[in-house]
Formats: sequence, structure tokens, C-alpha cells
Amino acid sequence: MKTGSSKNLVTIKGTKEGLTIILDDQCSFDDLKVELKDKMARDKQVFSSGPEVEVLVDAGYRYVNEEHEKVITDLLEEAQAIKVKEFHSEVITKEEAKRQREEDALTAVTQIIRSGQVVSVRGDILLLGDVNPGGAIEATGNVYILGTLKGTARAGLEGNLQTVVSASVMEPNQISISDVLFYAPDRYEKKQSGPLFDEPVYAYIATPEKEISFEKTRLLNQFKTE
Amino acid sequence: MGEAIVITSGKGGVGKTTTSANIGTALALQGKNICLVDTDIGLRNLDVVMGLENRIIYDLVDAAEGRCRVQQALIKDKRFDCLHLLPAAQTKDKSALNPEQMKQVVEELKPDYDYIIIDCPAGIEQGYKNAVSGADQAVVVTTPDTSAVRDADRIVGLLEQEELAAPKLVINRVRSHLSNYGDTLDVDDVVSTLAIDLLGMIVDDEEVLKAAHKGEPIAMNPNSRASIGYRNIARRILGESVPLMSIEGKKGFFAKMKSMLGLKA
Repeated sequence: MKTGSSKNLVTIKGTKEGLTIILDDQCSFDDLKVELKDKMARDKQVFSSGPEVEVLVDAGYRYVNEEHEKVITDLLEEAQAIKVKEFHSEVITKEEAKRQREEDALTAVTQIIRSGQVVSVRGDILLLGDVNPGGAIEATGNVYILGTLKGTARAGLEGNLQTVVSASVMEPNQISISDVLFYAPDRYEKKQSGPLFDEPVYAYIATPEKEISFEKTRLLNQFKTE
Repeated sequence: MGEAIVITSGKGGVGKTTTSANIGTALALQGKNICLVDTDIGLRNLDVVMGLENRIIYDLVDAAEGRCRVQQALIKDKRFDCLHLLPAAQTKDKSALNPEQMKQVVEELKPDYDYIIIDCPAGIEQGYKNAVSGADQAVVVTTPDTSAVRDADRIVGLLEQEELAAPKLVINRVRSHLSNYGDTLDVDDVVSTLAIDLLGMIVDDEEVLKAAHKGEPIAMNPNSRASIGYRNIARRILGESVPLMSIEGKKGFFAKMKSMLGLKA
């Protein structure tokens, strides 16, 4: 492997999806900037015309913060045909790692969520108990309830449309997944009170209507693999 | 050393004061030393229900602020020597008392009584916090209405955050004929929603209103079904196991025949 200034700090590779620009992860950022500038100046005529090319930037083991990302993007997009699609780096901050771990976690909660109480978690939540009318359960991921949902459940709080609300007994006031809402039918319209279904179900966003639908919980694996 | 039981509900008008007066009276009937404490400052009622409003000289706030000794503020009941009432102040409001003072007053009462029954005001603000601060146990009163059950649920949630024994449930004004048709919640619905132990239920009985009007708790009247309900609750508080009484009441011959034939009674 070549070292020092003789090595190419910026490599451009063509792939099926478009161009990948591989940046060296050992040199200083300033060196990288200089090299990138040179390269762009040299190859300007290649990129200045023709159809737009989507570019993936691979920073290897270099940590790229937002500021660096912007500098690199600006340098690359000086050539009109280049559009930076994505940044890829093997390195993330501890904070980001912690957030990702939370998103992937399943939090188990054992309580009855009563009127006026709100239980909110990052990631998925498993409730061993009921949600009573006036109470709410929220998660950025999925909501699983081993009990009766009579209150409000919100899944995909930050916009994940692929999340579900599952309950052993589904008798909700309200369900929302991302920003799609479902109100239970009015008590007077419903002929009698009681659960909406006589077996465990989950609520999900049906496409393309973008409406909340229900399906039997034992078919949840089909939704997950979709 | 006595035990302090707070009677609370969240919603107003479900029968906290009536329940306090009658559980107190029923426990006194069993020969226990009972002190009723009214914490509904500014809207006191317990003295009226007990028929003792003319005898009030000092009140809870006077005792808490040291204007009198706690014993001086106590009123002895007309009917029992072992039943006393500590009335609330009528001229002040809920902020006249703080939880620390309440705790102190209850601690002072504990050595002299078997049970201290604390009547809690409606709501979840200062008055509720005061009433709960002195208590060891809680009884939640509700009626079989959706709104009352919702508020009771809220209260149970709040009580669970306090250092109290698990709250017990009293369902008041249970109506037999309506609940059969599914037009109101039935007792099972209420118990399954709140998921706490049922201490007892009181059937809807006009006699309760009449008795309150006379200033005599219904528990004194041995012929009323509501009275039996309160007496059963008292016995359960004392640790006896008493079966729940049927809400149906005595059926006539035809009603019995109908229910045997599977028709709605």
C-alpha cells in the first residue's frame, strides 16, 4: 500500500448504482480537501455536462460530522452533474450509537396504564397489563400489549410507517401510527360495547389507502417480512 | 395504634361523604373507636350528614395551626360514645392546610382510635393531597358510570404513587334493573377496568337520601339494603370474610318463574 502524498486520497469508482467516491480515512481533512479540489478542477469538463450522476461518498473509518459533510458536498457539487446522494462512514458517535441501540430495544413494562398516565419509550414497548380509557402508551417503534387496550396507543412516534400496535384485546379509544389516526366507532353506533375483535389483532397502515387496518396477530410475521 | 383510611373518588357526587359517615357508623356499631375527619375545607358536609353541625366550635384548621388542641376540636357523636368527628373549616379554603400539618393531626389521633376515616374532597389538587398524606389505606368510591369510573381510574393511578397499601374499591348506587339491560356498566366491568380489590357495593336506595336529610347515617337502619352493604364493608375492614350480597333483591314469584324460563326479570 502506498503512503504519504503519493497515494491517491480520493478514488472515484463506477458501480451499478452510480459513482462511489472513496475518501482516504488516514490523512488530514485539509489534505483531503486540497486533493478533492484538485481532482474536481482536473475532471471538471468530465462532470460539467451530461446527465446528472448520483454519487455515494464513502469516508471509510473517518468520522464525518455535519460540517465536513457540507464542505465535501459543496466541493463535489461544484460540478453541475454531480448530486451527492448519501454519505457512508464506518464510524458514528457514542450518542448516535446509544440512540440506535434505544431504537432497536424492546422495553418491557409491567403496570396498568390508568387514566391520565402516559408511558412513552424509544424503540418497541411490551406492556404486561392494560391501558385504561384516558391512558396512553407511546413508542417510536412498535407497541405490543399483552392485555386490553382501552385507551390510546401511538406507534412510530417519529414517523416510522412500518410499525404496528398489537393488543390481546383491542378496544381502543384511539390508535395512531406515525401521523395516521384511527378513532374507535362511537359507543352509540356500535351495537354493544366490548372489544372490536374477538381475538388478538394488530393495527397497521394499509397501503395505498394510508389508513389504519387490523389483522390477526398470528399473521404478524407476514407483515414483518413484507 | 389506629389505622387511617382515606375515602376518595376523584369525581364529585359519587358518595364519598355518605360512605365515610356510614363506614364510620358501621364500625362504631361493631364497638370500635372511630374518628371521622372531614378534609373538605370550605365545603364541609360530613357534619351535616352526621347531624352534628350545631356543635362545631373548633375545626381541623384550628387544630392544625395550634389555635386549639386536637382533642378540643373533636365532636362526640349523638348516638355513639366511641364515634367522634373532626370537622373541616368552612370559612377558609383548601390552601389553609398543608400535607405536613394533616399528617401531624392524624398522628396525634392515632393512639386514641382504632380507625380514622378521612373524607377526601373531590378533585386531585391540594385538598386531595392533604387528605391522602395522613392515610395508611385508601378506599376508592365510584358509581357504575363511565365518567365516575374514568376518574376513579385516575385516582387509583395517583394513589399507586403514594406509600399506601393497595387501594380498595366501593361501588356505590348499584342499580339492579338497569345493569341487566347493559345500559350502564355492571359491577364486573367496573372491577375489571380498575383491577383493584372490591371492598363492597351499595345498592341504590332512596332511604340513603332520606337518612342524610335527617342527619342520621343509613347504617343505623337495620332494614335498609344499603345499610347492610355498609355494615358488610365494615366487617370486611375488620378482617371478616363476608360474601357479596346479591344486587337483585328479593324476587317475587313471577320474577323467579321468568328467570327460570330464561326471560329478563
